[in-house]
Amino acid sequence: MPEPTWRPVPHQHQGPHGETAADAHIYSPQKHNGVFKAAGLRTFMGAPYCPPDRHEIRATGAKIAFLGAPWDQGTIVRTGTSSGPEGVREASTQYFPYMFEYDVDILSFFKVVDCGDIPMVPGNNARSQDYMCDYVHECLAGGARVILVGGDHSVPIPGARALSRHLAETKPEAAMGYLHIDCHLDAAVDWGGIEITNASGPPEALKLPNCAARNMAHMGSRNGLNPKDWMDFWIDNDIPIIAMSEVVEKGIVPCTERIMERAWEGSEAVYVSWDTDSLDCSCMPGTSCPECYGITAREAIQLARTMGRYGADVLEIAELSPIFDASQMSMKLACQMIYHYLGSRAATLRDKGQTP
Amino acid sequence: MNPAKAFTHLFSPLGDEDADNYRSPGQISFLRAPFVKIEEEALRAAGRPYAFLGVPYDEGNVGKPGSEDGARDFRLSSLDYFPYWFEFNVDLNEAAIDCGDVSMPRVNPDLAHRKIYEAVRTVLKAGLTPILCGGDRSISIPAARALSDHLGESAKMGYMHLGAHLDMSDSWAGERNLTACALARITELPNLSAENTAHIGARNSFNPKDHFDLAKERGLKFVPMFEVLERGIDTVLTEQTERVWSNTDGQYLSFNFNVMDSSAAPGVTATEPGGLDSREIMRVASHIAKAGGPTVYDITELCPIYDISNATSRMAVAVILRILAEIAAINGDQVADDLRRPGWNH
Repeated sequence: MPEPTWRPVPHQHQGPHGETAADAHIYSPQKHNGVFKAAGLRTFMGAPYCPPDRHEIRATGAKIAFLGAPWDQGTIVRTGTSSGPEGVREASTQYFPYMFEYDVDILSFFKVVDCGDIPMVPGNNARSQDYMCDYVHECLAGGARVILVGGDHSVPIPGARALSRHLAETKPEAAMGYLHIDCHLDAAVDWGGIEITNASGPPEALKLPNCAARNMAHMGSRNGLNPKDWMDFWIDNDIPIIAMSEVVEKGIVPCTERIMERAWEGSEAVYVSWDTDSLDCSCMPGTSCPECYGITAREAIQLARTMGRYGADVLEIAELSPIFDASQMSMKLACQMIYHYLGSRAATLRDKGQTP
Repeated sequence: MNPAKAFTHLFSPLGDEDADNYRSPGQISFLRAPFVKIEEEALRAAGRPYAFLGVPYDEGNVGKPGSEDGARDFRLSSLDYFPYWFEFNVDLNEAAIDCGDVSMPRVNPDLAHRKIYEAVRTVLKAGLTPILCGGDRSISIPAARALSDHLGESAKMGYMHLGAHLDMSDSWAGERNLTACALARITELPNLSAENTAHIGARNSFNPKDHFDLAKERGLKFVPMFEVLERGIDTVLTEQTERVWSNTDGQYLSFNFNVMDSSAAPGVTATEPGGLDSREIMRVASHIAKAGGPTVYDITELCPIYDISNATSRMAVAVILRILAEIAAINGDQVADDLRRPGWNH
């Protein structure tokens, strides 16, 4: 077994003057000009770029792969989410990968790699989704868990398919969980005859052979863009929804614990699909369907930290729309949702004496 | 539930020949409602409980302009919603008509206010509940007067306002019908007493001393924002809806969405920090619905050019629809349990 080749990109965090210490990226700059965000190649978290190929990923030893899914032609609302991955990458240049709350360097802990954006076929949802599925599957097959950033909320359709396929190949008998955190119930069995829009993630997940209703849940639903057949889907399949009113009443942490426990009950892999319109529009204007009465920024971080205690094989953040953002607050929040998830995950594993 | 209605609008659009993008309504109206002229007979014939009226008037404003576009964006934002509300299992599809905008003259405030008055009177006379969307806060002056006259001198009227400012200027630079004078004029209505008047959310320093002096003189008991924070929105609303709804024959409900914190409602003319968050305004909506809802609604001071990502108009629409939906649910006007989308097989 050759030595893993993963190492941070020198110019990303160490500056052009060549900091030599291996952990220089977690400290304030010493040698270079102090503009810590001056990037060469812009990658998520300053992670090294790695081609989305299972052998290359395995060779680096990466345990987290960032993938962009710049696709917004599956949307039934406004477009603009194809810029989502770039929005998150840009926001991530304003952060250090060291998180004091967990005393962990998430970049090195997970040997994060950025596998770039998935290629898309304009005008062709089916082919684009096949690409998304193949790329996510390739990262999973390379031994990495995936941070998948959309893209509209049709992204979980191929995303969950990829996890399902990977699980079937590695553990044929195992079950997977699927969580949907969203302002919208997203349960159109079809929308205008189309089954693969951004309103159909959960019904498509339920069609997967190893994904059953008992490991599915929904959290954050509210307000009036939820037609009746969507509600009927959840009721008829006996899948619990934790509507926003319940989150407000009971608190985000116990609600998150409930859905995470349901997803992991007897299953061996979990897909988490987190639509950013689950957040309140005051902290998340940069989404395609901003909605009031949502999860606040504080709660989003608590949600991410709680989720980190349980883990997920694919964490997908959807519907980011940088052109509608204000002062980059949405992109920075989305970025920190991922960072806190990873920070909490790393601390959880470290405290148990485990590696990712 | 009305068996004669078609219910396809509750569901995701069907495919093939019936394929439809729900955001392309053909015409832009409140909740995709049909347009009906402001004429008593036509309004009566429509047979629906609510009438939406745009009031694109901002010549009464003393701050920044822009609220004349409020109704336009309110309509647009209403198209982002379904008439179906899962929380209440209610269908609002045939709840409203849209009367279009009240035609507004330029540079003639007296005439503008008279037209607003006449429009509201006509709608009330036809037996519908008007939902006015401004426009600046001064539109409440003729609209509240219309309700007052509609009820008649012997009846009692209730009035509730949510906003950051008291608007109790007896006159402002010599003018008596500007936004800052709204509550001063409304508290002069003959059938509205101080004990049936509520004002919730006042804060910060766009409330000059004469506002308080006049409020005191008229015995107005308002609930400032600090009191809301201390006692909680539920306690305050329980008490204040009681003031406005008990023993009154008609109620006027007025939202200036600067009652919200500036983070929750940037698209208003006078943003104020320290206000309600969107969860609290949803509680407010619920209390109002439980009180039975008002006889006239108004929404003023929406200012789309300062909005971020349409968030404020959407919030305003969500608040109004939530009230209508909960009222419908309380009235038992729910959708049948066994109703499913055509071809449903899940």
